[in-house]
Amino acid sequence: MSSESSKKRKPKVIRSDGAPAEGKRNRSDTEQEGKYYSEEAEVDLRDPGRDYELYKYTCQELQRLMAEIQDLKSRGGKDVAAEIEDRRIQSCVHFMTLKKLNRLAHIRLKKGRDQTHEAKQKVDAYHLQLQNLLYEVMHLQKEITKCLEFKSKHEEIDLVSLEEFYREAPPDISKADITKGDPHQQTLARLDWELEQRKRLAEKYRECLSNKEKILKEIEVKKEYLSSLQPRLNSIMQASLPVQEYLFMPYDQAHKQYETARHLPPPLYVLFVQATAYGQACAHMKSSQPPRQDKTLSVAIEGSVDEAKALFKPHEDSQDDESDSDAEEEQTTKRRRPTLGVQLDDKRKEMLKRHPLSLMLDLKCKDDSVLHLTFYYLMNLNIMTVKAKVTTTTELITPISAGDLLSPDSVLSCLYPGDHGKKTPNPANQYQFDKVGILTLRDYVLELGHPYLWVQKLGGLHFPKEHPQQTVIADHSLSASHMETTMKLLKTRVQSRLALHKQFASLEHGIIPVTSDCQYLFPAKVVSRLVKWVTIAHEDYMELPFTKDIVEAGLAGDTNLYYMALVERGTAKLQAAVVLNPGYSSIPPIFQLCLNWKGEKTNSNDDNIRAMESEVNVCYTELCGPRPGHQLLTNQLQRLCVLLDVYLETESHDDSVEGPKEFPQEKMCLRLFRGPSRMKPFKYNHPQGFFSHR
Amino acid sequence: MERAVPYTVPLGQREVFQALQRLHMTIFSQSVSPCGKFLASGNNYGQIAIFSLSAALSSEAKEESKKPIVTFQAHDGPVYSMVSTDRHLFSAGDGEVKAWLWVEILKKGCKELWRRQPPYRTSLEVPEINALLLVPKENSLILAGGDCQLHTMDLETGTFTQALRGHTDYIHCLALRERNPEVLSGGEDGAVRLWDLRMAKEVQTIEVYKHEECSRPHNGRWIGCLATDSDWMVCGGGPALTLWHLRSSTPTTIFPMWAPQKHVTFYQDLILSAGQGPCVNQWQLSGELKAQVPGSSPGLLSLSLNQQPAAPECKVLTAAGSSCRVDVFTNLGYRAFSLSF
Repeated sequence: MSSESSKKRKPKVIRSDGAPAEGKRNRSDTEQEGKYYSEEAEVDLRDPGRDYELYKYTCQELQRLMAEIQDLKSRGGKDVAAEIEDRRIQSCVHFMTLKKLNRLAHIRLKKGRDQTHEAKQKVDAYHLQLQNLLYEVMHLQKEITKCLEFKSKHEEIDLVSLEEFYREAPPDISKADITKGDPHQQTLARLDWELEQRKRLAEKYRECLSNKEKILKEIEVKKEYLSSLQPRLNSIMQASLPVQEYLFMPYDQAHKQYETARHLPPPLYVLFVQATAYGQACAHMKSSQPPRQDKTLSVAIEGSVDEAKALFKPHEDSQDDESDSDAEEEQTTKRRRPTLGVQLDDKRKEMLKRHPLSLMLDLKCKDDSVLHLTFYYLMNLNIMTVKAKVTTTTELITPISAGDLLSPDSVLSCLYPGDHGKKTPNPANQYQFDKVGILTLRDYVLELGHPYLWVQKLGGLHFPKEHPQQTVIADHSLSASHMETTMKLLKTRVQSRLALHKQFASLEHGIIPVTSDCQYLFPAKVVSRLVKWVTIAHEDYMELPFTKDIVEAGLAGDTNLYYMALVERGTAKLQAAVVLNPGYSSIPPIFQLCLNWKGEKTNSNDDNIRAMESEVNVCYTELCGPRPGHQLLTNQLQRLCVLLDVYLETESHDDSVEGPKEFPQEKMCLRLFRGPSRMKPFKYNHPQGFFSHR
Repeated sequence: MERAVPYTVPLGQREVFQALQRLHMTIFSQSVSPCGKFLASGNNYGQIAIFSLSAALSSEAKEESKKPIVTFQAHDGPVYSMVSTDRHLFSAGDGEVKAWLWVEILKKGCKELWRRQPPYRTSLEVPEINALLLVPKENSLILAGGDCQLHTMDLETGTFTQALRGHTDYIHCLALRERNPEVLSGGEDGAVRLWDLRMAKEVQTIEVYKHEECSRPHNGRWIGCLATDSDWMVCGGGPALTLWHLRSSTPTTIFPMWAPQKHVTFYQDLILSAGQGPCVNQWQLSGELKAQVPGSSPGLLSLSLNQQPAAPECKVLTAAGSSCRVDVFTNLGYRAFSLSF
C-alpha cells in the first residue's frame, strides 16, 4: 500500500513540478527518505483531530481560492494575471498541506492495520489454547466414566449368599469385624471363601474319578468271569433238552417264542400275550388233564424274524421309504388283476402290506376239530385281519349245499351281529384308499383276510366313531375283556358249523337226521318227506314271490346263507325258502313257505300257512333240543313235515267232490279249527300224541 | 308307500326274534274307548295295545304317535274279542273274559279288574271265546266260542245266568237285534241261529250252506261274520256273503266275492266287509261292489267304526288282520295310515 501511495505521489510531483531535471527528483527522494522516517515519528506526535480540522480548513481555502481565480478569470483583465499567480501560489501551498495530510493518513492507516493484525494473532493463539484445554477435559471425563464402568470378573462368579458365607466360612477368612462395615473387604473375603471351596471340590472330583476307574476295572473283571460262564451254561442247556422233552416242559420253546414275539407289531403282540395267557388259564382250569399238548388254545408265531427286524430299523429314521421294502414285498406280494397304472398298483401293494410276522391261533373244540386262525397286521392301515380254516379229525364228505359253511371266507362272518368283516374298521383308511384308488377293502379280503371288528378288539385296537383319534394304541385291557367271549363264540361257531355240515349231508339225501333225544318233539309217523335241499343265491331268494315280508323286515341281509327245501306229500309240494343267519343257532333259520296244492298258498292268502311259518320261526325255542341246540335246523324241517301232514289231513273235505280224501286224517286232533282265523291244530302234545291248538 | 323296504341291517338275536314276532303277528280284535280317542287292539300273543287315535290323527302326528301308547300282556293265548262299555274294556280269548278299567288303562296302570270263566264242561282243551256281545238293555254280556254255547253273564253280579245250546260246532260270531232282545249267532257248523234272550231258546235257524245260491262247498260251511239291521241280516264265511231277510228266511242278495269274509257290518246304506285279501269291500245293498279299498295286511279279521259322539274328529274306520298293523281310513275312500304294534 505504501508503495502504491508512493507511485501515486510520483506523477503528482512530476506534474506539479513540470519538467525539472531528474537530478532534482533524486535529491528530493533522498530528502524524502529522511523526512519519511521523521514523518512516521511525527505521526505519533500529531493529533488526528487537529489534522482533520486542518484538512477541512485547507479544503475551504482551496475552494475559496479556486472560486477567486474563477472569478478573476471570468472578469479577465491584465492585472488579474498577477493576482491569479498569487492565488496559484497560495493554492500550491495548500496542496502541499493536503499532500502532507494524505501521507499522514496513510501512515496512520498502516499503523492501525498492523496493530489490528497483531491483536488478532494473539486472539487466535489464545483460542487454540482454549480448544486444547477443552479437549483434554473431555478426554479425562471419558477416562473417568470408563473407569467407573469397569466390570470386574468376580461379579460373574455366583457367590454363596451373605448369610451362608458368615455362617460357614471360617473366621480367618470371613473376618466379620472388618468386612461387616466394608463392602469391598467383604467381597474380597467372599471371593477367598469361594476359592477355598472350589479347591476342595476339585479335590473331591479327583477322588471320585479314581474311584470310578477302580469300579470300572472291577466290572471288567466280573464281565470276563460271566462271559466265561455262558458256554458252560449253554452246554448245560443242551444237555437238559432231552429231559425237558421227556417231561413235556417246553420252557425252551416258550422262551424262543417270547424272543420272537418281541418283533411282533404292537397289536399282534397284545393278541399274542392275551391269547397265551388265556390259553394257560384254560389249561390250568382243566388241570385234571395231564398232557399239555391237549390244551385247547395254542399260539404260534409265523414268518421271518429277520425281515421284521429289517423292517423295524429303517422304520425309525425314514418312515415312508418305499425302496427298502423290496425284500418283504416279495414275500407278501399279492396277486391282483393287473391295472394300467403300475405305479398306482405298487402304491396299493405298499398300502396293503402285511407285517412279515403273523400269529397262528389253533382253537381246539371238544370233538377234536381245530379252528386255525391266522392273524395278520396291515402296517400302513393299522388294522388286523384274520384268515380262518377248520380241520376235522375225520374226513368230511362235503355236501354240495354245505360249500359255504366252512369256507374261510364265511365261517366267521357275523360272529358278533353285523360284523361281516368286509369293511375296514379304521375310519382313517377310507382317506388312504381314496389316494390310491381303492374303492373298498371288500375286493381284497380274500387275500388279506377279514378285518372283523372282534379281531381289532383282540389286538387291543379300538376305533371309536364319535371321537376319531390320531393314533390308535394297542390296549391290553380291551383285548383281555374280549378274549373269553370271543373264544367261546368262535368255538360255538365252529361247532354249529360242523353240526350244520353233518345235517346238510343227510338233508341232501332227503333224510332229516332227527337225533334220538329230539324224537319226543314229533309224532312217530311222519308222512311228508323232504325231497330237496339246495343252496340258492341271495338274489334268487330276494326274487322269490313269497319272501317279500322277510326282505322288508330287513332279515335277508347278504351275509346270510340261503337254502331252498322242498317237502312233498302226495300231490302237495311245500317249498320252504330258508334264511340261515351266520349266528345259527342262537339266531334261528327263518322259513318262508309256499304250498302248491289246489292252487298256490302262501302266508298272504292262507292264515294256516302263516301259522305254520310262525310255528317254525317264532316257536323255535321248543325245537332247539338239548343244548347247545345245533340240531335246530333238522328239528325245524321235521316239524315242517309234521305241520304239512296236519295241514293236509285237516283240510275240510269238499262235499261236492266224489271219491275218498287224498289225505285221510291219521293224526289225533281234539278239534279241527279254532278261533276266528280257523287255525288248524298244529301243536303236538308229547306223551299223549294228540294235536291241539296253540 | 309307508312300507318302504328298509336297508338290511344285521340284527342280533333279540332283534331277530322281535322282528319275527312282529312278522307273524295277527291282530284279532279292536275296540274303541268310550271317549272315542283311543283304540285297543289285541293280538295273537295275548297282548293288548292302546293306540291314541287323536294323537295319530292330529296334524302334528309323528311316527311315534302311530305306535301304541301302552302295550300289556292281557291273556296267555290270543285275544279274539274285545268290547267296551262306558267304563270297562272286556277282552276274551283263551276261555276267560277279563275286565279292565279304561281309566286305569289310560293311566298305564294295566291291572285287570276281574276275570271270569264260563262254566265249561271238562275238556282237554279249554274252549276259546270268539265273540263278545254287550246287551245294554239287560246290562249283560254274551260270550260265545269253542264250547258251542252262548253264555250270558250279568254284569251287575258277574254271574253266568244262562247257557244257550244248539250249535253243533264252535261259534264264530254274534250279532244283536236291538229292538227285541234277540241275538244272532253264526258258527262253524254253517248255521245262523236266532235266540230269544228272555225265553232263552232258539227261535229260528238258517242253515246257510244248504241254500244253493250261496253255498260254496270248497270253502266249507262255516259262518265267519254276521251283522244285522232290523229285519235284515248279512252273513258270510265259507258260503258267499249274503243278505238275508230274516222273517222270510230267504237270501235276497248274494255279493259276488270269492274270498271268505271274516267281518261284516252295516254302515249307513252300505255294507262293509273284509276277509281274505287286503281290501275293505263296500257293497250296495243291491249287491254291487261300490269300492274296494286296499289296506296293508294280506288278510283282514276285524273292522271297527269309531262312531263315539264324544270324539267326532276321530271318526274313522280301522281295519286289522294278519299283520302287526291297524289300517286307519279317515274316509272310506283310501287308507290314510297304519298304526303299528
